[in-house]
Amino acid sequence: MTCTLGEVKNRADFMIYWGGNPAECHPRHFTKYSLTQKGKFTPNGRKDRTMVLVDIRETPSAKAADVFLQIRPGKDFELIGILRALIKNQRVNEAMVAETGLPLSKLEELVAMMKAARFGVIFFGMGLSMTRGKHMNSAGVLMLAAEMNAFTKFVAMPMRGHGNVTGADVVMRYTTGYPFGVNLCRGYPRFNPGEFSTVDLLVRGDNDACLVLGADPGATMPQPAIDHLARIPTITLDPKVTHTSRLSRVHITTAATGISAPGTAYRMDEIPLPLRPALKSPYPTDEEVVRRIREAVARRPAWLPERNGEMVV
Amino acid sequence: MAAKRYLMNAGRTTKQGQQINIGKDSPEYLAIVTTIFMNVDDLKEAGITAGTDVRVRSDNGEAVFHCKEGKVPPGIIFVAYGPPTCKLMGQTTDGTGMPTSKGWEVEVEPV
Repeated sequence: MTCTLGEVKNRADFMIYWGGNPAECHPRHFTKYSLTQKGKFTPNGRKDRTMVLVDIRETPSAKAADVFLQIRPGKDFELIGILRALIKNQRVNEAMVAETGLPLSKLEELVAMMKAARFGVIFFGMGLSMTRGKHMNSAGVLMLAAEMNAFTKFVAMPMRGHGNVTGADVVMRYTTGYPFGVNLCRGYPRFNPGEFSTVDLLVRGDNDACLVLGADPGATMPQPAIDHLARIPTITLDPKVTHTSRLSRVHITTAATGISAPGTAYRMDEIPLPLRPALKSPYPTDEEVVRRIREAVARRPAWLPERNGEMVV
Repeated sequence: MAAKRYLMNAGRTTKQGQQINIGKDSPEYLAIVTTIFMNVDDLKEAGITAGTDVRVRSDNGEAVFHCKEGKVPPGIIFVAYGPPTCKLMGQTTDGTGMPTSKGWEVEVEPV
């Protein structure tokens, strides 16, 4: 259902950006992978491609779009449902269409363009996945892309947020079988978003310690989660002093991956990219710090919860 | 009469992204994440002068922002996310693990 950005570059002649603002948030996306690059089957670059933007406000990305569809906030799921019906020539409720803020004729035009494409791709951003509906919106877009394959080749791909969040997902997946929200307390992985996911744990105050690796929840998470981080022993590993560092018991400055530390970053299409550091850093790498913490923990005597926390020496 | 509710959307901007990498203590970063953008008609209706401070209140908390006129549809407020938006954002994840990071209903009043 998805593909690499290399395929997009070489094949995609039609793309929809939905709930994303790549002109500001992924500034190299248009020029390096999706819109303006000349590819094997898109030799004229931008001229061979059609770009549609779906968003609730006219972002700077609208300038790059051939068609801008300004949807009413919170109506993404409805629009996805309508498009899924329209591609199958099913009747749609006109009142429902009016609620999306878009005229039916525009949507029919969009469906015709989607079907006329040789290789279509839907890039969906956080305007879709972080608003009301959340994963249901994402699932809807994936279904729409899947169903479009009855007519032409169509794929969907999320526009990821921070640098290398894809890497965290990929590594969690191949080590535990799940991408996030994994609980290892029982010695085997259990997955339950909403219960074991970071925000939920912190907001409920379930955990009594926290290790933050290269993230800044202190500046991005809901306030009760931040308050809980300040209550418990929090350790932060980051090249810079962040809001999270200030509420941590310990901040360990580490080398910046890709600049002064080697490593692997996963591109948003899950292609691993080896990073070669250009500079030397006086600080240890994240990996080294975590390894040393693990070694120090391993030297401690084992702990048996069933014997009321008794240490086994 | 109940105060008008606006839909507040937190997102990224290029300048905010640049400042994150320079440092979150800079006055530039602070200025970016404490500035909201409202539609010109909404500003008039709410009796807010562009360029002044406003108090934004959501179901979860409140924060003070600098208010500017921006290219946003009526009824919508845009803000670059940062420490002040943490106070306003949704605290539950609806079982998804992802807090509601955009689209909060808020009230705005001049300070």
